[in-house]
Formats: sequence, C-alpha cells, structure tokens
Amino acid sequence: MEITVNGKKVNDIAEVSVEALLELLKVESPQYVTVQLNGEFLERDAFSATTVVNGDEVEFLYFMGGGDLAFTNEQMERYSRHIILKDVGVKGQKKIRNAKVLVIGTGGLGAPAAMYLAAAGLGTIGLADFDVVELSNLQRQIIHSTADVGKPKVQSGQETIAALNPDVRVVTYQERVTAANIAEIIRDQDYDFIIDGVDNFPAKFLINDACVLLQKPFSHAGIIRFFGQTMTYVPGAGPCYRCLFDAPPPPGVAPTCREAGVLGVMGGILGTIQATEALKYILGFGELLTGAILTFDATTMDFRRVKISRNRKCRICGENPTILELFDEELPVCETR
Amino acid sequence: MLVLSRSHYQEMLDQARSGSPKEVCGLIAGEDKAQLRVIKKIYPLKNMDDSAEHFAMDPREQFTAVKDMRYNKLTLLGNYHSHPASPARPSQEDIRLAFDAGASYLILSLAQEQAPVLRGFRIQNGEVEEETIKIVEGNETDGASRL
Repeated sequence: MEITVNGKKVNDIAEVSVEALLELLKVESPQYVTVQLNGEFLERDAFSATTVVNGDEVEFLYFMGGGDLAFTNEQMERYSRHIILKDVGVKGQKKIRNAKVLVIGTGGLGAPAAMYLAAAGLGTIGLADFDVVELSNLQRQIIHSTADVGKPKVQSGQETIAALNPDVRVVTYQERVTAANIAEIIRDQDYDFIIDGVDNFPAKFLINDACVLLQKPFSHAGIIRFFGQTMTYVPGAGPCYRCLFDAPPPPGVAPTCREAGVLGVMGGILGTIQATEALKYILGFGELLTGAILTFDATTMDFRRVKISRNRKCRICGENPTILELFDEELPVCETR
Repeated sequence: MLVLSRSHYQEMLDQARSGSPKEVCGLIAGEDKAQLRVIKKIYPLKNMDDSAEHFAMDPREQFTAVKDMRYNKLTLLGNYHSHPASPARPSQEDIRLAFDAGASYLILSLAQEQAPVLRGFRIQNGEVEEETIKIVEGNETDGASRL
C-alpha cells in the first residue's frame, strides 16, 4: 500500500498500527510525538489500536516545550529566608539556581566562598585546585575536615558541598590552573562569574587576564596576616586587577601566607565578601566593588573602600593592550616549595 | 552554523520583549545544507503555558506552520524560546524535553535588558552542544546562503 508521511509518499508498506509505523520510521521518543491522521488529531493511547491503511495521510511532530522547574516544597523551605527578601524572591532564587560560578582555589578564600554559594542554592559550582588537603590548611580552609587530610581538595570540597546542599552540581578540576588550561576550564561550563581564591600572584594575574580576554566578571581577593583586600571586575564596567597592579611584585618583596602567616578567619571575611559579590552580580542588584577596592584591617577593624578607575595604559584592558594572549607570570622560587 | 538575518532576529526580539515577563516561542525554517543552516522564515507561535517560566507550543499551530514550510519548500530547522530573566542556555527541563536530535534549539535571553543574547544549541540524549549563530545584515539571507 501507499501512504503519505509528513508530505512524503511511502510505498510498499504493510498495514501497521501508528505505533508500529513510528517504530518503522525509527522515530525516537515516540511518546512525545503528536500525530494527525488524515487531518485529525490522534490520541497517544490510540497509537497501538489505530491501523494505517492505503491512502492515509500521517503527519507527526515532536512536542516542543521547556522551562524552569518549580521549586519543591523542601526547596521553598530551604531557601525561604532568601525568598522573603524583596530583592531575591522566587525569581531571584531561580537566577541563583540557573547560575554557574567557578571557584579557583579551595583554600582560605575559596573554601568559605564555595560553601556559602552552595548553601545559597547555586546551580553549578566549579572547583579548581591541584592540591591535596594538609593539616596546616585546616586552621582556615573550613570546607575540609581532619579526615580529609591527604585527599584532593576538590574531592573534599565536592563531598562537603554534597552534604550541605544536594541541589548543587559540582564540577571539579584537579589541576594547576595555567595559561594553557584556564580558558578551557572557564569555557567548560560557560561560567557566569569567577572567584579568585588563589594564594599566589602569578595565578591572580592569570585569572585577571583570562577574565578580561574572555569578558567574564570575577572577584579578586587577597589575605595576609590580619589584612585583606578585594575588588570586583565586570567587563566594560570598571578597572581590572592589572589597572591597579601592573605586574606581580619582584620575588622576595611580598611574603606568602606560608611565610608570613594569616589569621584563619581572614579567609572567612574576605571569601564571604567574594560570595556576596557573586550573588549580587547574579541577582543583578546593589552596588558591586567595581571601580573600588575594599581593604580590611582586622587589627583595627577598619574597612576602607577606595575608589579606583580604569588605567588607560593598562596592558590588558587599556586603550592599546599589549597582552593579547594568556601567559604565566613567573612564580617566585620561594613559593614553589 | 546557523545564519539568520537581522530582521528575523529583530522579529524574535520584538516578540520576546512584548511577551515579557512571559516566555515566547516559535519555529524556525529554512535551508539545511551540510554544515550551514540558513533561517528563511520564523513562525512565532503561542505559548500554551502562558508562563514566565515554561513554554509549550500548540500542536495545532505547529502542524499549520510545518505545512506552510512544506508549501514554501522550507525545512523545519528547530525552535526558539525566550528566557525573560535567565541566561541564554537550556534549563534542565529544556534539555529533558528536547526530543528532536535534528533540531536547533535557540534561546533568546532578556536577562540583561539592554544586551539581549541569542544562542543556539543541539541537544542529543541530554548532551548539549552549542551551535554558532551568525546574524547577517539586511532583510534577506540569500547572501548568507552563498557563505
């Protein structure tokens, strides 16, 4: 017999049911197909009992739809303190759920940042860190526990997040972030916002350069002893890290936390500010630390917000940029131990 | 790669803006040539869900559009929908409900009011792959078909 399927003649076909015809035509997910037989809609539960006969015209197409899933009652309760906020609400909470943040470094800054983002119900958190948990980390890196010593930090971080909030999808990158892989990692999940939680200058400059070149917003922060500083870069909206600091300090000038020490809680204060900036950016409200650097001195409890502007001569985001591709700044020898 | 004209893009954007805060949707049709898919006509369809967070096309309108494509010798290339407040990428539900492995799924985000973003995806067995979109100037994509 001969029938017409979606406007095309099909010959030499035996009398079969609509269900068998769809199978014959290798139609995938036939349960989501809508069928018209000779111009009339055919109910899905009639597919198997309806036979196609000579001269029939069969039209079929896929259901097309989609959307954002509603929150479950449990999620409504979990995020209720967010949802009652005028600037968040269900709509904002869904923005948080749809967002993707990459946390580079799961140390003093990245640990609290990642945990607050996870608690907030962030959809996807990327964790990048090559290191394993050491006992000396536990004085400040609260995403890791005593039992995690020796474990890769990204694995320990992923486990802590899963226990805190199973809604969050965690993507891990257990590798040292370098000029060779940073763009690939940022593009991997098309991250919306990046958190610089690294402990050395070359990596901080690399994150800045990658975010400027890929046009991604990021939060910078640094901590040492009782001091911390943070700023937020948003493409086109304000200065980048290189506008302020053209290059890493020469070896030996700036000590590392390993050499100088850091009050554990400094990571908590600055890291949670970074998480706050990420959430504000995602929600699209408030004033970011863009065009400003915030410094904190725990010895006097002074927060200072200093205005900064774009540097026209900035080597990466200025008028005549000379940094056109990513490179690794030299890591001072004393830091490589 | 998907190619569409500035005017088709504008048509989608106008529909998305006038429908906001609800999602809008439609079908895209044109020519399918190996690596190049050229959009020649767009079919704005009703969102039966009438929702800010979901969309579902009316099968009746879908059939009418598909028959019009056949009449005009156009191929169904896929569909588009707007995300009035979220980024231009498929949600988990968008991925779950993407049954047509041969279709291009376009999402137009109005999350940044002044900077709408249109992106295209192919979705197969839950795997999402981005499809490049090129917007060409003018009303016609005839030039584009020679790319």
